[in-house]
Amino acid sequence: MPATDSSSAAAPLSSFGRSFLSHRRDQIPPPPDHNHTNSSSSDLEIDAFQRHAADLLLDLLSDSDSLLSLAWTRRLLDSFLICIEEFRAILFAFADSQPLSRPTLDRLLLDFLDRAVKALDLCNALRDGLDLIRQWRKHLAIAAAALSTSDPDPDHAAPRGEAQIRRARKALTDLTILMLDDKDAGGVVGQRNRSFGRAGTTRDSVSHGHGHHRRSSSGGSSGSGSGSHLRSLSWSVSRTWSASRQLQAIGGGLTVPRANDIAATGGLASAIYTMGAMLFVVAWALVAAIPCQDRGLQAHLTAVPRTFPWAGPVFTLFDRILDESKKKDRKHSCGLLKEIHQIERCSRQLMEVTDAAEFPLAKEKDPEVQEAAQELVQVCESLKDGLDPLERQVREMFHRVVRTRTEILDYLSRPHNAS
Amino acid sequence: MAEDGEEKLLATVQHIVQTLGSSDTMTEDILRVFSNYDGRLSLDKLYAARAAAASAAGGGGGGLGGGGGEHSMPESPTLPPPPAAAVSAAAGRPPPVTSMERTVRTLDRQISQFVAMDGLIWADSADADAFLEAVDDLIGTVQELEAAGTNRGLFDRAEELLSRCMARLEEEFRALIERPDDAAPAAPGGFRSDGSDDEEDFGGGDGYGDEPIPIAKPVTDYDVVIDALSPGSVANVHQIARRMVDAGFGRECAEVYAAARRGFVDESVARLGVRPRTAEEVHASSWEELEFDIARWIPAFNMVFRILIPSERRLCDRVFDGLAPFGDLAFVAAVRTQALQLISFGDAISSSSRAPERLFRVVDMYEAVRDLLPDLDPVFADPYSAALRAEVTAVCNTLGSSIKGIFMELENLIRRDPARVAAHGGGIHPITRYVMNYLRAACGSRQTLEEVMEGDFGAVGGAAAAVDPDRPTSSLAVHIAWIMDVLHKNLDIKSKIYRDPSLACIFLMNNGKYIILKVNDSELGVLLGDEWIKQMTNRVRRWSMDYQRVTWGKVTTVLQTGGPGVGALPATAMKQKLRMFNTYFQEIYEVQSEWVIADEQLRVDVRAAVAEAVMPVYTALISRLKSSPEARHDLYIKYTPEDVEACIQHLFEGAAK
Repeated sequence: MPATDSSSAAAPLSSFGRSFLSHRRDQIPPPPDHNHTNSSSSDLEIDAFQRHAADLLLDLLSDSDSLLSLAWTRRLLDSFLICIEEFRAILFAFADSQPLSRPTLDRLLLDFLDRAVKALDLCNALRDGLDLIRQWRKHLAIAAAALSTSDPDPDHAAPRGEAQIRRARKALTDLTILMLDDKDAGGVVGQRNRSFGRAGTTRDSVSHGHGHHRRSSSGGSSGSGSGSHLRSLSWSVSRTWSASRQLQAIGGGLTVPRANDIAATGGLASAIYTMGAMLFVVAWALVAAIPCQDRGLQAHLTAVPRTFPWAGPVFTLFDRILDESKKKDRKHSCGLLKEIHQIERCSRQLMEVTDAAEFPLAKEKDPEVQEAAQELVQVCESLKDGLDPLERQVREMFHRVVRTRTEILDYLSRPHNAS
Repeated sequence: MAEDGEEKLLATVQHIVQTLGSSDTMTEDILRVFSNYDGRLSLDKLYAARAAAASAAGGGGGGLGGGGGEHSMPESPTLPPPPAAAVSAAAGRPPPVTSMERTVRTLDRQISQFVAMDGLIWADSADADAFLEAVDDLIGTVQELEAAGTNRGLFDRAEELLSRCMARLEEEFRALIERPDDAAPAAPGGFRSDGSDDEEDFGGGDGYGDEPIPIAKPVTDYDVVIDALSPGSVANVHQIARRMVDAGFGRECAEVYAAARRGFVDESVARLGVRPRTAEEVHASSWEELEFDIARWIPAFNMVFRILIPSERRLCDRVFDGLAPFGDLAFVAAVRTQALQLISFGDAISSSSRAPERLFRVVDMYEAVRDLLPDLDPVFADPYSAALRAEVTAVCNTLGSSIKGIFMELENLIRRDPARVAAHGGGIHPITRYVMNYLRAACGSRQTLEEVMEGDFGAVGGAAAAVDPDRPTSSLAVHIAWIMDVLHKNLDIKSKIYRDPSLACIFLMNNGKYIILKVNDSELGVLLGDEWIKQMTNRVRRWSMDYQRVTWGKVTTVLQTGGPGVGALPATAMKQKLRMFNTYFQEIYEVQSEWVIADEQLRVDVRAAVAEAVMPVYTALISRLKSSPEARHDLYIKYTPEDVEACIQHLFEGAAK
């Protein structure tokens, strides 16, 4: 896909950031007046940060129809980027007045950094997942193009001919194989072996291909014989890597800070905890939405007291997504992204309608095909518009986490007596 | 040139006409069809050409199978009957449509034979040519039918036929890319495994066989192109790609291409021995392991981005020559994953520990990526690969900041170095050795470090980098001067743990002298500048003077006898002085002969200064004593001046007890 979209890496925030936010973002580090504040004003900052995290989550929950759509996922990432930016601002404003490297605080920060590293691999895996969807989109686009080219005016369009249907079916079959391929065996188990066995497999597939061609020329199923050569991309993570386990590692042991820890850290313990929770929630929702090696949503946050303003929204989000994942037609999906569901639904529908179809297509079937085709076009469009920006945001998340981590480490390694 | 093309076209059409036309009316219809969609094919010209051909062949209106002798048609007697629907839909149409229908029917017959073939069509170049010709005709027919828009049924039929052609072409295309040797014109010169590969023997006997997979051999010179397909194969594959794009199947074509090439790319990268590592693994790995990985990564990265990917680009450009943007789409899809995978290791390394010893390997990585950047422009020029190009730039930046961070970390390491253990005898502290040797080594990459410090990562552009690393005001120079300052402060703190202030001086002198030597001896001198060296030398001199004062000040004071004559000391006082000297000197000698002055010149200088301060006064005292009548009586001289001189020459030998 051409990466020439107008939105730059920084642009996503504008799509939904509030003026209050951008104001805050511009103040890194905060102006001197706030620098030498007593703890109560930094408490205010930390409270505002937590409330804002809650608001961002509530905003994500406000429109339940869009939950887990591409656009929603982009907003989710925006929210994360905003949170981490505010977190840095608070942390480094604090660090300007007193060292971060002191007992309790350094322990909490190192714990957060550990989680952050784990999120990096997740970001890479998610990028692979998005590339996989991009691959699907290509086949989808072929099918959409085949079914929708005939006439600009749908009312006068002749019913789709055998050629168009055949072409669309072939593309959809390839797509289904790719999607299944990803689903079983976590997408890539045996990838190496498969790739070493390529030549043999290919020869095999050619002979299948001939069988298929005889079948299809006699009007049978127009499934693709070339399916066996199709192979989803290789993942950049190792074969044993598991998104599910990674999530557990990111969220595991994320415990509510004790009162004396909060006191000892001037309230920063709460901010660190909030940031850790946001990291986990966002990672969890992304894994839910996007194909990943060995997905699984078992990981969970341990009881968050309601005193944290974001506790309610977080659990609502968990519940909504889990509900979604339990739906009958989503249970075995390779990603809860709304668009993936659409792909599955309308490609299945198209395959059913056109299976063993007589040509020209019966009058009553054509509208069905047309309807599914239109949905196809629409999914294609939203994927085309949404995948590249989403991937850039995932990269942005990666780089932002790396940068935050580095900065924190720099502060931690700075000796106390540093001038 | 154009004329030549036209002639060829005419000849082709004529040939088709001969092959297809079973009767004169039919031939005429076909001729009319051709003339309809291409002005060059006027009926007159065609008739003239036909007459010429007929007389040359010695027979009229060639029938099916007669005139087409130069094409070996596959044996396939059972031809699918044309669908009834299409026939009925075409009924009652004006004459041109009828002829069109005949064209489609004939093409159907011809193409069905090809499509039903068991082996590769491209196994026989004549078959391939004939098939392509038929496909071209069909594409033209479909376009014409679509433009006319009058015969939906026939159009559908032709399109259906076209889609079968495309499915078959797709398979041929893939087969030709994956197994180019199976095609007929096995032109030599392609890049193939030399057959001695282990992989070939493995499982090769059971007929299920692994094809020898062409892979990149180890190379040192990156100015190499892998030609995975012979020119003949490329030409074949291009022919197919052009038909697929013409027929509107460009996306399918790009997909198949990418899928077919991805295997080769994956395989080639796998053979380079780089294994994928997650950021978490990188963070958990020991530095030794990572050094090993980096040592493999750098050549692999160069191989992939300098040979493999440009070769893929070249191949893609040739296969999809003139068929933009499908070539660009196919190229990115073929190489993207492996490219990103290599890049992500760079990301992981950048985000891991910043221990100073990592500097040099990370610099190597950075330089590999940075040097590559300008060469990538032609390879990733299209908008589809812009994202990949951006990722390479991003990892270059990330590695750059990482280098900066690592270099900064040296400062923290010095600051944190505890002042608990004193160097024996005031000698050179390990931290001084470490820092100086580290900085000397770092100077080997000073151009890169300078670039990174200035923050213009990868802004090479060759000479455009206006950074002059030799000026002491450059960022790197300023930073190194700062590190020296930090080191100096740290050494100053360390000097305080010596209880004896003299030893503190010796310690500072030793380390100061070592620093000067290392600076003068390397490019650090250029970076820090003469002024800095002068200051440092002055410092060492001052410490040396401090030492003289602290250690020998009281000694020489004791030896002062005042001038001869008036006010001369009484003999007893002089004797008292000598006794004090003896005590002092013995004490100093015992202690300080175990001290260390590592630099020989400095040792000589310090001894000389000591001798210069002590010897004249001591000799004077002895001679006064000797010449004094009261003193001469029971005079005990423990150290002759020669003894003292000799002892001084044995100071700072670091003699272990």
